[in-house]
Amino acid sequence: MRIADKLVLERQRHLKWRAFDVLEMALMMLCGLLLFGFSTTVMFDIVTRTIGHPWLWLQEVTQTFFIYGIFIGAAVATRRNDHLYLTAVSEALRGTPRLVAEITIRIVVLGVAFCLVYFGYINFLRGFSSFRMPSLTPIASLYAAIPVSGALIALFTIEQLINGYRKGFDHREPPEALVEVAPILPISPGRRRS
Amino acid sequence: MSATLILGLMTFLFLFFGYLGVPVAFSLMAGVLVGAAFTDVTFPAIIQKIFDGMDSEALLAIPFFLLVGELMSSANVVSRITNLSLALVGHVRGGLSQVVTVFSMFFSEMSGSTTADVAVISRALGGPMKKEGYEPAFIAAIIAAASTIAALVPPSITAVVYGAVGNVSIAGLFMAGVVPGFMIGFGLMIYCYFFGPAGMRRPRAPFRDVARAFKDASLPLMIPFILLGGILTGWFTPTEAGVVAAIWILAVIIPALNRGHIRLLPYDFCLAGLIFSLPLITIGAANAFGWMLAYLRGAILIAEWITGLAGNDPHIIMLLMVLLFTIIGDFIEPVPTIIIFMPLVNALTVAGNINPVHMGVVLIATLAFGLITPPYGLVLLMASKFVGVRFSKALRAALPIYVVFLGTIAFAIYFPKVVLWLPKQVIPESVGCFKNPSGTGYICPK
Repeated sequence: MRIADKLVLERQRHLKWRAFDVLEMALMMLCGLLLFGFSTTVMFDIVTRTIGHPWLWLQEVTQTFFIYGIFIGAAVATRRNDHLYLTAVSEALRGTPRLVAEITIRIVVLGVAFCLVYFGYINFLRGFSSFRMPSLTPIASLYAAIPVSGALIALFTIEQLINGYRKGFDHREPPEALVEVAPILPISPGRRRS
Repeated sequence: MSATLILGLMTFLFLFFGYLGVPVAFSLMAGVLVGAAFTDVTFPAIIQKIFDGMDSEALLAIPFFLLVGELMSSANVVSRITNLSLALVGHVRGGLSQVVTVFSMFFSEMSGSTTADVAVISRALGGPMKKEGYEPAFIAAIIAAASTIAALVPPSITAVVYGAVGNVSIAGLFMAGVVPGFMIGFGLMIYCYFFGPAGMRRPRAPFRDVARAFKDASLPLMIPFILLGGILTGWFTPTEAGVVAAIWILAVIIPALNRGHIRLLPYDFCLAGLIFSLPLITIGAANAFGWMLAYLRGAILIAEWITGLAGNDPHIIMLLMVLLFTIIGDFIEPVPTIIIFMPLVNALTVAGNINPVHMGVVLIATLAFGLITPPYGLVLLMASKFVGVRFSKALRAALPIYVVFLGTIAFAIYFPKVVLWLPKQVIPESVGCFKNPSGTGYICPK
């Protein structure tokens, strides 16, 4: 399997449209690039500071990659159901109660996503009057990540809502194999203690 | 609507949505946004608070520590740490349960994440323990308990968050976490020796094998030295130390030990790029929640209640905080708990004249304990899922292990000098000491 294919999660396939797989893959790649980007800029920051010629703008670039990484990651995690959960009582339900619970969950997420888009956009517009130092770039360039993330979260939530309503949310997933990360080499044959 | 009612509504909505199955970040945001609708606070201000919660330089360390953990586990260098642990303690009564604990003491110092630890240990040692006849419930319990060490010892992500949000020295928290972290580790080993299953009898590994295991594991074992060495000498901030550790893995460990993994590195980056966003978006949401708690004077109300009971006695204040955090930690994860309750923690730290690093370590140890207590012991839940045993059974097996945690927390509360000894020796400024203006050495607060 190619790395790009591995980036699209097959779990909860029934809640996903294949057409959006490309978007998930692209966003996952973007997450990787953003992480690689700010790893590199932090590294250059250390090097340039150590040699006595710090590039001050590097910290701004790092901050941009970092903030976009968080918001893009949060958006793609919505499609992959990778977010942190307290617990999912809904998964223990069956039939109509499950349907009601799952729809409620998505409506709550959709409501939050709407707030991120709308009020995030208001903050974005206000951000043109504040500037980042030393480049004097409007801080709106950072705030833009909020409505973008909100729109993607809304898109993926609508995808799950429609598919879940049509096909049902309750699908049995293939069991995850307990993969041994490491072969334990020198476990010598022991004998049971008396 | 009164402030208390609004706070109650926010908390209820957060827990209700959270336990229904809404992701933690979104349930926090939903609770705050509904609460804000009943106050003068505008919605754009709440979104701004979410953003501000993530926009902290200290939090930049989190992705790097997660990247280090991800690279360490996916590059399959874990086997070398396992072999070393086995060579060191495989012969001791308890067998693989001792190995689990020692493995975690090593691996925690590289990953900093309890969830990364539990996944790696379950996969590396869960299978062999089952084959050797250990009860699955005990396997899940010991793996979960050992994994919590990562919350205390450097480079603990929980400590990074605590330091960043509470304006407490992260390096100080790292150093102060070493004693309680190792107390839990050695406590678990003693528990396994006297009360755990005996396991298989193995001969003591000859010195030659131990030396070889050390040599094989030497490159991964350099990571804690890079992380701590850089931070303690003042060369790096925690964030930069994380970058250097990641570079060490990418440039040295993987090419030397698992060259075939190089082509999979883009995948590791994509995955780590996703994983780091999950705690951070939760931190942003929890920051808005904590801000509302402070705005509605909730933190002051609880602080007044606690100081009303405890006066200014630091021990009783900390005991009550431990009680509060144990209850809260049973329902919410450590990171949001820290951020939401930081205004309260700060108020009580001042009221009791407690060293902020001391308070931090006690609370982090309490939250680590919460990871294996019901109803929401995240790490125990994960371990039972990986091992394939019901949570209730794993919980029953974990109950006697609670003694180790309670003993460690009590020790950390009543013996601050021991807990703060290491940071005082290595980075005195981190615990409030300052250079003696009239001579050598430092003057430290009592």
